[in-house]
This record gives sequence, structure tokens and C-alpha cells, in this order.
Amino acid sequence: MANYYDIDGILVEEEFVPVVFQKAINGVKIDESTEKGYVEQGSKTELPFWLAQELHMRQAVSIRVPACFNQKTRLEIQADAACVDLRSRCPYFYEFGCKLAPLCDKSIGLLLSYAFRIRYKEVLHKAHTTAFAAASKFLMLLTKEETYMYEAAQSSMAAFKKWRMGGPRLQRASILGRKRKPAE
Amino acid sequence: MAGQSDLNMSLFSPEEIEFMAEDELVEIVPNLRMDSLNFICGDYGPFHPQLAAQVPLWLAVALKKRGKCTIRPPQWMSTESLAQVLELERDSHAFQPLPFHYLEISRLLFDHAREDIPDMYMVRSLIEDIRDVRFHKVETNLEKFTASTVTWKNMSAMEVNIIRAFAGRALQAFYKHDNEQQAPDTDRMLDKQPQIPADRPKHNLKPR
Repeated sequence: MANYYDIDGILVEEEFVPVVFQKAINGVKIDESTEKGYVEQGSKTELPFWLAQELHMRQAVSIRVPACFNQKTRLEIQADAACVDLRSRCPYFYEFGCKLAPLCDKSIGLLLSYAFRIRYKEVLHKAHTTAFAAASKFLMLLTKEETYMYEAAQSSMAAFKKWRMGGPRLQRASILGRKRKPAE
Repeated sequence: MAGQSDLNMSLFSPEEIEFMAEDELVEIVPNLRMDSLNFICGDYGPFHPQLAAQVPLWLAVALKKRGKCTIRPPQWMSTESLAQVLELERDSHAFQPLPFHYLEISRLLFDHAREDIPDMYMVRSLIEDIRDVRFHKVETNLEKFTASTVTWKNMSAMEVNIIRAFAGRALQAFYKHDNEQQAPDTDRMLDKQPQIPADRPKHNLKPR
């Protein structure tokens, strides 16, 4: 996230958040269907996070809790965090939550660390043991961050297994194989 | 020092770890007479037939390939000591002291000097068993860790390398979430810069 050009960092801020306008704003339309050329105070809409954050700093909007952190998701996470399909809710669940927590609801932080703690164990077990084919269903539930973790574990384990199995250490140059054939 | 196989993650491939293991010293019994060899890493020799000498593993393997020496397997690679290690490994939660590169050294010796190892098959299966037990321990340890301090003694190079990428990411995430929870940064409101992870106050990792 430190990198300015980090594509995941950019995509996180593209997530939509529901906002309520605190001020009337002239010259903008949030909805094509409205006739008026301004936004009334108290109107609700969804804005991408990067815009909502800027407006929030200027006290123009207040940010509401988005759907992926609502009460229903919370209950599901409390019931069994490992089985919740976070990817379809928000692929950047943790990063988005971290950015959002100070702006709308501080308790999101607790939810995130609780969910991660449980789901981390699940990723750990699956990553080092399961064959790739069996894991594809499990992979569908993971957020981006968890997928990276899973892939990191899988690839280093696969590299180790490949090394241990060995095989020929010296690769035979293709020209050497060809040379013998005419003689036979 | 960083790995060459992966540019942005600075990870090592197993082959690179093996390369580092080749600097470990082993004892060889040469069957040729040769003056001492002067390398950047040190001077080895002179070599006399039937007189044991200490050389790096890569040199031992090179000499062995040309049939100029026999390699004496290290002390810990005997069936007795490995059986003992395996037993202790199964009984306790801690990792038993083994050479840092035990997997790589044993693999290189199995590949190049199998006739010099007494009970090769026994030794090999013992090492496999030890590796399995130890890796299972690594996994149970990983399960327990949070952003607090992590101290595991006697892990070997290869074991560390297998979990390096995963554990690094996981620790980062744990650290981030714990930090977020302890200090929901209120200064973000006052700061005009939307992205301020760099100047957020750093919190020391406290054992919980």
C-alpha cells in the first residue's frame, strides 16, 4: 500500500460508499433523472471512496456504513468467519475496511481483525496441504489479500517439492541428443 | 543479500538455498596428492591420499564427481543420531538442533555420494520423517502466531524459506489490523493528505 502506483491501492478507493450530503451543492447532478441543477441537503447517493473521502474532509458529506460491513455480514462473520464469501461482498474487504473505519464506524477495525484471525487459520491449513483442484472452491471465498497469501504459500511449497523430487540436475543440450542419432 | 529468482519480493528459490548450503564444510578423504587450493573463500589443502581434509561441500562434490575422493558423511547424518533426533522431535514442541542446511546437505550427498553413506535408504527415510514432523510443527506454530513477538529456535534454512512469503504477508496484515484497532487515527481528519500511512505514529509490537 506504500506504493503510489499500487494497482490494488487504487482499486480499493474505487469501492462505492453510501453518503448523505450535509450541504446543498450547486452545479452538480448526482442523478440524471432530476431536473434540478443542484444537490439538496440530506440527499443520499453512492460515491467512490476517493471522492467521498475528500468531500468528507470538507464536511460536505457524511459517510454511511457500506453493505459489506452491515449488520448481516457482521453476524455471518461472528457465526463462522471462515465460510463467509467476502470476495463477492468486497474483494478488498480488509484494505477498504481499514480506510473506512476512521471515517464512519470505528468498530469496523475490530471486525476486520476478528475476521482475519479466523480466516488466516483456514488459509494456512488449505495452502500447505490441499491440492490445487480441490482448493478452487475455497479460493472463491477469499479476498484479494487472502488470495495473495494463499498463492505465496502454494508457490513456495510447490517450488520446494519440485526441488526435493530433483530430477536431472544437468539439462542435456538438445544438440547432444541429435548428434548420436545418425550413428545408430 | 537478496534472491535472484524473484525481483520484487526478494525471495529465495530452493536452488538458491542449496547454493548457499554448498559453502558448508565437510570432511573428505582424498585419493590424490595435490597442493593447497587458494580461493576467495579460503585456502584448502594440501591434500594427501588417505588423510582427511575439510573442504566446502561444492569442492567435495566436484572432487567426488571426478573420483578423486570419498566424502565422510557428517556426524549428525548417522542413523543413530538421526533416530534420536526424530524421537526427540516427536516428543517435544521445540525444534531439535540440526545443521541450518540439513535438508540441502543431505540432498546433495544423496545425489552425489550415495556409496559413501552407510545405510543410505535408512538415513534418507529418517531425514524425510524428521522433515515431515518438523514441518507439521511449523504449521501448528504458524497457527498460533499473531502480531506479537515470534521466537522459534533452530528452524532450518529451507523451512524458513517455505513459509517466508506467506508468513511475511500474514504478519504484515496482523500488524496492520492490530494497529488500526489500537489507534484509530483521528489525525486523518485534520490532515489534508488523504494517504498518510507514512506519518502515522509507529507503535511498537507489544506481546499480548
